[in-house]
Amino acid sequence: MDTLARIKDMAAREFSIDPAALDPAAPLDTLGIDSLSFIEFMFKVEEEFGISVSDEDLRGIKTLGDLERHVGAALAAAGKG
Amino acid sequence: MDRRRVAITGAGVVSPLGNSLEELHRALAAGRSGIRPLPEAIAKPSGVQIAGMVEWNPAPLLTPAEATNLDRVSQFALGAAAQAIEASGLDLKAENLERFGVHWGTGMGGAQTLESSYERVYGRNDWRLRPLAVVMGMNNAAGSNVAVRFGLRGPFANYSTACSSSAMALGEAMRTIQAGRADVVVAGGAEALLQPGTLAAWFALRTLAPADAADPAASCKPFDKRRAGLVLGEGAAAFVLEDEAHARKRGARIHGYLTGYGNTCDAVHMSRPDRDGQVRAMRQALAESGLAPEAIGYLNAHGTATVVGDVVECEAIGAIFGDGTVPVSSTKSMHGHLLGGAGALEFAAALLALEQGLLPPTAFLEQPEPACKVRHVTAAEQVAPPRAVMSNSFAFGGSNVVLVAERA
Repeated sequence: MDTLARIKDMAAREFSIDPAALDPAAPLDTLGIDSLSFIEFMFKVEEEFGISVSDEDLRGIKTLGDLERHVGAALAAAGKG
Repeated sequence: MDRRRVAITGAGVVSPLGNSLEELHRALAAGRSGIRPLPEAIAKPSGVQIAGMVEWNPAPLLTPAEATNLDRVSQFALGAAAQAIEASGLDLKAENLERFGVHWGTGMGGAQTLESSYERVYGRNDWRLRPLAVVMGMNNAAGSNVAVRFGLRGPFANYSTACSSSAMALGEAMRTIQAGRADVVVAGGAEALLQPGTLAAWFALRTLAPADAADPAASCKPFDKRRAGLVLGEGAAAFVLEDEAHARKRGARIHGYLTGYGNTCDAVHMSRPDRDGQVRAMRQALAESGLAPEAIGYLNAHGTATVVGDVVECEAIGAIFGDGTVPVSSTKSMHGHLLGGAGALEFAAALLALEQGLLPPTAFLEQPEPACKVRHVTAAEQVAPPRAVMSNSFAFGGSNVVLVAERA
């Protein structure tokens, strides 16, 4: 499974959303994901991928697509990607 | 002065005796105990062998995603509150929810979240905690989750006075409605602290009963010469308390009225109970309801089965009612001590007597303590529904809360 698929799968379970309805380009709040829920979700993403996303980077993540790029970059930096 | 009367229009429970009011009442009537051996993983490190445990499945109330982000105590609270609201027949969409409040009680709050967090940092030296640890673990989370889920935007309060927490929540909810600050308050309490570290602290206090070797379910023996301490339990109970006029206008079924609330503090010792403080609380509750002691047809005692506590309470009951008159039982013999949830769950037990005239017993009471000169209910008794019932909740810290409910 590629990174985006894994993230979408996790998000679908975390937020009880149909994976098919998860548009990677949609702002998170339009998916019904508030900031607190997203921070909790990020914690699980970090655990799942074994990465760490800084507060500054976190603030720049507005969509699942953004998240995928950050995770991908972190994995590449760690030599896991 | 004409005060608004507070009707009880719905109730729900999550308890060691089942997760509905009907199941609770059936078990109480049968004298069946929900006290069981704890799982080895909890019993071994903590030293505590038994507890009143809830069989809990978050579904269908909560999705797996919701359940993951809610402490067990909040899940119990939501379970009980959902039942109570459903039973009340309230159509929340048609109501002004700014006039609906939540008054909740819990002793410890999110014990599961706190313990798993501490286990992670101290046990595994992993200092990355999940971001929801704060809002899952905080003491007011259970009540707040009830407010959020049902959109109840009126007066909110969270009481944490150990074993009187949820009785206090009910009493203060009555005040809030009487004062006209809300038309409906969802009131109750929850506790879910059967976690190894918390149980170890209770074990250290040397106040817990050991497991009865022959029958673990019979380990809690209030008022019995063989009593050896309390047995902890978990669960929740919730009630819809409603301004009588509001309830009548919508044709709600009224189960009874909450009419008396006594609240005193011993102010003498952190754990040793005090007769005077208990007497004053019972007297206050009776005075507020305007009832003579003879009107009370059943008293659900605090009755934790500690050596000292049961005798002191019986003396206090005797001081108000005279020896051997009012039927008394401690249903903790069956569901254990729910601490912050105890007052609410036992109020639900008292409703069985109030509505149906079915007096729940003190189970396993075979050799009454001679110093406990009350009229014990040792097996369920069917009587004519009494005019009123009383429920006692006395807490560490010296807080005494007494509730009186009257027949509809």
